[in-house]
This record gives sequence, C-alpha cells and structure tokens, in this order.
Amino acid sequence: MEMDIQILVKLAAYIGGGMAIGFGAIGAALGEGYAASQADMAISENPEKSSDIVRNMLIGQAVAESAAIFALVVAILLLFIAPQDPTIVTAAALLAAGVSMGLGALGSGLGSGFPAGETCTAMVKVQDPKVLSRMTTVMLISQAVCQTPAILAMVIALMLMFVGFGGPDPVKAVALLSAGLCMGFGAIGSGAGSGLPGGAACQGIGRQPEAQGLLTTNMLIGAAVCQTPAIFAMVIALILMFVNLGDVPFNPYWAAFMGAGLSTGLAAIGSGYGGGMAAGASCEGIARNPKTVGVVTTTMLVGQAVAQSPVIFGLLISFILLFKGYGEAFALAPGMALLAAGICMGFGAIGPGIGSGIAATSAVSWVARNEENAGLLMRMMLVAQAVTQSTAIYSMVIALVLLFVI
Amino acid sequence: MEAVKSLRKKYCPTAMFIAIIAALVMIFIGHKDLARGIVLGTLFSILNFVLMGASIQLRVQRTRRTGAMIAFVLVLLRFGFLALPLVVSIYYDKYHIVTTIAGLFMVQAVMLADAVKKLVLSRPA
Repeated sequence: MEMDIQILVKLAAYIGGGMAIGFGAIGAALGEGYAASQADMAISENPEKSSDIVRNMLIGQAVAESAAIFALVVAILLLFIAPQDPTIVTAAALLAAGVSMGLGALGSGLGSGFPAGETCTAMVKVQDPKVLSRMTTVMLISQAVCQTPAILAMVIALMLMFVGFGGPDPVKAVALLSAGLCMGFGAIGSGAGSGLPGGAACQGIGRQPEAQGLLTTNMLIGAAVCQTPAIFAMVIALILMFVNLGDVPFNPYWAAFMGAGLSTGLAAIGSGYGGGMAAGASCEGIARNPKTVGVVTTTMLVGQAVAQSPVIFGLLISFILLFKGYGEAFALAPGMALLAAGICMGFGAIGPGIGSGIAATSAVSWVARNEENAGLLMRMMLVAQAVTQSTAIYSMVIALVLLFVI
Repeated sequence: MEAVKSLRKKYCPTAMFIAIIAALVMIFIGHKDLARGIVLGTLFSILNFVLMGASIQLRVQRTRRTGAMIAFVLVLLRFGFLALPLVVSIYYDKYHIVTTIAGLFMVQAVMLADAVKKLVLSRPA
C-alpha cells in the first residue's frame, strides 16, 4: 500500500507537470502568434516601419511569454521535487498545482498578446518616435497587468506544492483538487480580458497621442476591475485549501467541495472577459473623443460592475456549498445534486458574463460618440445587461433547487 | 535585423549587470548559492531572448497560419531550453532554485522597469 501511494504521488506530479506546461504553453503561443500576425499585417501595410514594428513585436512577445515561464517553473518543480510525505492528499495537491498553473497561465498568455499585436498595427501610421516609444511603454505596462491572474495561479500552485495539508483525508484531497480547478479556470477570463483595454489603449495612443495619460489611467482602472473574478476564484481556492470543517463524511462533502470550486472558477471566465470587453471599448472611446473621458469611464465602470454579477452568483453558490452543512449520505444522488449545482452555476454564468460585456461595449462606444445621450444609453445598457443576466439567474435558481429541494 | 540587435544591446547587458550586482551583494552577505542561481537564471533568460530574436526571420513575412505554427513550435523548443537551469538548480545545491527562477525573468523585468521609468518620467510634475 505504501508503494502504491508513492506511485500515485509520482503519477499525480507528472500529470500535474504535463498539464501545467501543456495548458500554459497554449496561451503564450496564441498570444505570440497573434502579435506576429499583426506585425506581418503592419509590415505589409508600411514596410518602411518594419524596424519599429519588429522591435515592438519582439518586446511584446518576450513579456507575453512570462505566463508560460511561470508554468514551466511549476512543471519542472512538479517533475523533480520529491514530496516529503506521500499521501493521497499530497497526490491531489500536486495534480491541483499543475491544473491551477496551466489553466491560470492560459488567459494571461493570450491576453498579453493583444496589446503587442494592436501596438504593431497602430505603429503603421505613427511617425513621431516619442509617440512610438510611449506606445511600447503602455503596451508593456498593460502586459504586466495581464500577468496578474497567472501570478495568482502560481501563488496557489506553490502553496499546493509546499504547504502541508495533513494526513490522508480523501475529502481534503478533493477540496485541494477543486481549489486548483477553481483558481485555474478563474484566471482564464481575467487574463484574456485584461489584454483588451491594453490593446485598445495602444491603438488609441497611436490615434490621439495627447490623450496618453487619460488612456493609460483608464486602461489601468479597466484592467484592474477585470481582475476581480480571478480574485474571487482565489478566495474560494484559499477557503478550500485552508478552512477546517472538522471531521466531515466523504459523501456528500466531496461533491460539495468540487461543486464550490467549479461554480466560482467557471463563472469567473465570462465575467473576467466581459469586463475586459467593456474596458477595451472605453479606451477606444476616449481615443475617439478625449473630452468624454468622465462619462465614458463611468459607463465602463457601471457596465463592468453589472458584468461581474454572474461571478457573484457563482460565489454565492460556492459559499452555500461550502458552509451549508450536510449529514452523511449513503446514496450517490445527494452528492451528485451538490456537484450538479456547482456545474450548473459555473457554466450558466459564462455566457451572461460575456453577453453583459458585449452590451457594455456597445453602450460605452456610443457614449463616446454621443455624449448628450449618455443617460439614455446607460439605461439601455443596464436593461440589456439585465436581460442578459436572466440566463445566469435561471442557472442560479436551478442550482438553489439542487441545493435545497432535491 | 538592426532592430533586434539594438534590443539585444539595450536589454541583455543591463539584465546581466543587474544580476552580477545582485550576485555580488549575495556573496558579500555569505550566500554563494543565491548568487550562482541568479547568474545562471539570468544567463538563460538572455539566451532565450537572443534565440527569440534570431527566430524572428523565420516568422515575419509569412502567412498568419504559418507564422502562428512556427511561433508555437519555437515556444516549445525554447521552453525545453529554459528548463535546463531549473533542473540544474534542483539537482545541485550550489545553485539556489528561488534565485534561479528570479533570474529567468530578468530580461522581462528589465523591460518592465524601463517602461515604468519612462511612464513616471513622462508624467507632468
């Protein structure tokens, strides 16, 4: 049995390592590929600027790769560091570490590619070297912000690898696996979404160099709000890792913990990306008409706040799943109902999060063109977002029925 | 590819300089393993960046799909290369793993520090 656990731990570490770099490489490769494709397009449009464009592309790609290097570091640690105390909990923690880092790096790698690519295309028409330099600076800052979800995922992965989680408790093992999934999924939307305002800000500086300050501030605010769903996911992951609920029965707690992680993790994808869409439109709007910065930023923030509702629903279901309290179940059905509640809420919130972002994108964009009707446009946005959210509410209702009725 | 050369000249020596200064400080306070780790990590960070620049010729002036495919293959190859210092630092106690990891991000850190400096200096007083 001792030997079996050791093999299980090694297997978990190897699979975790493979997943870390496997998923982690996808985002960076897509982001770098996007930057290269936009650079190609820009060079074909204005070959005389090829030197500036290639320079910018290379810098952008180097930074976009950071998320994948985080994943590489975690993968190597998983493959080569021997755990001190091989138990089923250690095996679950190592696997979860790989999942957290791999999925967590996916969004950041992709998101970092957007500013790099957009800056390359915006450089085509810019002649002033000072403006070109400013664009590269803002691109780098926005790419650094994009890395935040991947860094959060790495922090969770390192905790899973190096913190001792006690004896061989199968419920704890499931909770740790759920924590890894929650953080990994939760970082995807925020990482990818944070790149959208960065890309739009760089494009905007190319068009309106004098609005650089406004665009940078707006980009930073928009990207920071995009990170909220990833932070929610981190909170749930930390609760799953460290809250001690005492001696709880395996069934149905395994399902409650897994459902809690999936609910917030999956729900964060839509809200993170939707918030990024609104922030991107805001930067574009300010570049179009810098005088509208106040009303555009307000509309963006309201739009982003409403786009966060689906992840808040997900968070609510997670908290209920975590803290409701259950008696021991001898049949599989009660556990499956709890797991289904988490899955239902998680998947059900992805679309409404992105949909709300689309509604906010349009409203923000038109407010910049038509400031006089900002109030009307914001009301329309809120109505549209409320309608979009209805499907998340349906998911929440079904999740609550699964939690309290079945 | 003058642009790539100028970038190499701008960031790589600065990254190595910072790593050496940090290593000297670490040696001075009696942590030779930390010093070796940061220099090793930075060396591979620089080599990775040089390889990235060298591979640009392969990527630009191609179709979107081919460019993306080449980029993906190169990313995987360079990841294998970046894994070397990590494996070395895990197997040999002479190299501290934490500073090796920090060194792997040195070129990116220099780029970001440069960007932050420019952003701060460009702001009106």
